[in-house]
Amino acid sequence: MHAANRHRSTPGLALVLALCLGLLPLAACKRGAQEAEAPAPKAAADAGPPVTGDWLVEHLLSDPEQLNPLTSNDATASSLLGHMVESLLDRDPDTLALRPLLAASLPEVSDDHLTYTFHLRPDGRFSDGKPVTGEDVLFSIKAIKSPKVNAPFLRVYYASIVGAELVDPLTIRFTATEPYFLNESVLGGVSVLPKHYYDPEGNLDGVTFAQVANDDPATRPQVAAFADRFNRDFARAPLGSGPYTFGEWKTGERVVLIRNPDYWGYGHEGIETPYVDRLVFKIVNNTDAALVTLKAGDLDVMGLDPLQHLRQTSSAKFKESFSKVTYYSPSYTYLGWNNDSPIFHDPAVRRAMTMLIDREAMVKTILFDLGQVINGPIYRFRPEYDESITPPPHDPAAADKLLDDAGWKDSDGDGIRDKVIDGGRVPFSFEIKINSGNEVRKSVALTVQDALRKHGIEVKIREIDWTIFLDDVQGRRFDAVVLGWAMSVNPPDAYQVWHSSQIDNGGSNFIGYRDDRVDEILTAYRREFDADKRIALYKEFQQILNRDQPYTFLFMRQSVLAYHRRFQNVQALPIGGVVVSRWWVPKALQKYGTAPAP
Amino acid sequence: MARYLVVRVLWMIPTFIGITLISFLIVHLAPGDPAKLAAGGGLGAGAGAGLAADKRAAVNRAVTEWRTQFGLDKPLHVQYVVWLGNLVTLKFGESFKDQQPVVEKIARRLPVTILLNVLSIALIYLVAVPLGIYSATHPYTFMDRLMTVGAFVLFSLPTFWVAILAIVFLGGGDFYDVFPPGGLHATDYSTAWPLLTRAGDLGIHLFLPVLILSYGGFAELSRFMRGSLLETLTQNYILTARAKGLSERVVVYKHALRNSLVPMVTILAGILPSLIGGSVIVESIFSIPGIGQLGFQAVLARDYPVIMAVFTMGALVTLVSILLSDILLTVVDPRVTFKRRVAS
Repeated sequence: MHAANRHRSTPGLALVLALCLGLLPLAACKRGAQEAEAPAPKAAADAGPPVTGDWLVEHLLSDPEQLNPLTSNDATASSLLGHMVESLLDRDPDTLALRPLLAASLPEVSDDHLTYTFHLRPDGRFSDGKPVTGEDVLFSIKAIKSPKVNAPFLRVYYASIVGAELVDPLTIRFTATEPYFLNESVLGGVSVLPKHYYDPEGNLDGVTFAQVANDDPATRPQVAAFADRFNRDFARAPLGSGPYTFGEWKTGERVVLIRNPDYWGYGHEGIETPYVDRLVFKIVNNTDAALVTLKAGDLDVMGLDPLQHLRQTSSAKFKESFSKVTYYSPSYTYLGWNNDSPIFHDPAVRRAMTMLIDREAMVKTILFDLGQVINGPIYRFRPEYDESITPPPHDPAAADKLLDDAGWKDSDGDGIRDKVIDGGRVPFSFEIKINSGNEVRKSVALTVQDALRKHGIEVKIREIDWTIFLDDVQGRRFDAVVLGWAMSVNPPDAYQVWHSSQIDNGGSNFIGYRDDRVDEILTAYRREFDADKRIALYKEFQQILNRDQPYTFLFMRQSVLAYHRRFQNVQALPIGGVVVSRWWVPKALQKYGTAPAP
Repeated sequence: MARYLVVRVLWMIPTFIGITLISFLIVHLAPGDPAKLAAGGGLGAGAGAGLAADKRAAVNRAVTEWRTQFGLDKPLHVQYVVWLGNLVTLKFGESFKDQQPVVEKIARRLPVTILLNVLSIALIYLVAVPLGIYSATHPYTFMDRLMTVGAFVLFSLPTFWVAILAIVFLGGGDFYDVFPPGGLHATDYSTAWPLLTRAGDLGIHLFLPVLILSYGGFAELSRFMRGSLLETLTQNYILTARAKGLSERVVVYKHALRNSLVPMVTILAGILPSLIGGSVIVESIFSIPGIGQLGFQAVLARDYPVIMAVFTMGALVTLVSILLSDILLTVVDPRVTFKRRVAS
């Protein structure tokens, strides 16, 4: 017989309650140490002259891989390094003209465009106070050319530079093998690294540029010794001559850059001199969490994706503290047809594809109107862009006719067009490959699949991991891909992507476009030093591409940046992008400590 | 006992080799080439930035050289043996991404993950055991049923979803500002702060992650506790104890509880490895720089040395925790001994 078990066990409940109470103090002691919210930011009009101070807390989705100025590969690292390391020339953000930075003036160029002589500023200094000399520039170019330095991408970029010599301590002369109109820009872009920091043992001292460039066996041991150390020991603490110095990098948490009040650029015309004392890059791996972090005030600026911009950042409370700026970046998305495949070999078919796809609707529904349709590979805001191009219109009826005329008819009544090629019946069925993790490209593929189905074309979509995708693209194993190109605001050079020599060996002309006139234009363009003639050449180039439709050019996207209102002078440049070094905060609104702490 | 331990440890070796071999094979056979990622332009802009075909040949050469440098051109079994040999001498190699020693990278992040997991286990037991006891001593009452339903609900809520909800609603965005939205330290954290402030800062940052890592365990463990105690309470010796006139408190806490704790100990072996796995999600969402995040990012970047090191650690932890819980079992349950029983 069992005794009824009706006894209450109060100790159990008490324990539970005690636990809950015990956990509360942790919650209660949320650190209120953050200074009281800054007073409502005033309008910019009464802000007065720019002053230094305050911190800018930016958002990073993940750590940079490493901060070695030459061997790092990712965009995050380049943008961080851009604040700390400088080059001989840079581009005026407003006019895009080349202007001297560490060089005292633009280089002297020989008549044959093969020799470039740079004179350095006498007062350029690295952040540790040591002067920037020709030796450092020579060292930098030697480091780039060193075979064992883990920067093959950068190295081939400078493949045509075959000579570098010091004329005097502040003058360096480069020699190129071919007269390329971007040579000046390429040479001006060499990151000037301090020799005393990056080669403390002087391994490259006794090695001439020629010996490094030609991988001379006599000097291989020294070069290898240098490269070994260089690859391994400088991943985390870069040193340069830029306005910011490296503060700290707590992996997975943040990277801090500290303004150098002794930066050599202060007081010089034409040099961007920043006001913000610290750039804190907070790492938040998740974009939803990042948006909350922004709203909580722990981030000052963040890029918003279209949904966040339209739906999650419109409240009055948000607008009180934050403002937004939208700008274009030089990049575009496209549908690349494999020009060598039996289906897309025919330009009429490619033209029909473009006419079947409603690109304007895509901008509306996929980009939420944050972008615009483009019709060629040149950045819309550059002078080379041809405004007069009339792209194939969105005209499904005309497209049907084009396809019928090209021989693609539904002859067996299965709803899918087909054509007899080489004696066999080939259905109009193909596969679009996209890389996983990109919502926009996936939406593009789905939209295209849907649009084409109604016209007798069967589209399959294959979503694969980026590394495998890249392999397939470079190996030309695809029918169609949705991809994008990121360019720069610099003068374009379409050679790599459109010249017929770039089809094999994993070149960037992976769609296989071939046109003799285009090849001529692209080669002549590179040697053309008259800007107007270059523009004329590229306009013809764009007209030919428009006729042939090797890609279906889709759109370029607009980025939205949300930033805290206390920052003044936040403007989108006409050409796209923002210049962070022009932002500043009035004294009364500064939120974080003003003294640059060690 | 010593003999048992020795035999167990010896058995761990082939198990360990098996685990690492399978991990090694999976990691190396999976598509994606670290040589291309590291030397050939990486995952970033470089990969798509367009490279002239003649220059591509030079890059391909660099990629091949890179592969040779890291021994990736040798056949798989040779690579495995080399890796194993290095492991025995505790040489974990350097990360493909930034050439930093793997040991350093892990050592930097290990404390955080350990802290997260220890706190989580402690919290799970602290909460689940009393809950389970209450449920078992008041079976089929309203509270018990409420707790049962609650347990199942909690168990079914996916952690990544709850984590995001927690951040959105409690992290200071549009709703309540109770906790920081992520990270380990405040933006202006400084080591100059007094110890108590620093501890409080860490506490407030870890509160949500630990809670989210643990809530599934509350449900699971409290159910186990309840079941185990309930079963124990039906044993005859409990009836005897009651018949002897012992108070209910003594019956439950002195006699029944100890015996019902036995399965809770063995569960520990299963909880620890799953916590390490679960912390990948929590670490990524809360941006906590721990081993989980490191392992995940290493997998994306095909950073073989780091991946293998993290897997090895995971394997070791699992094996050791199984051994530990077996040993603890003998401590907790005197019926379990290492000696062979003489047939009676």
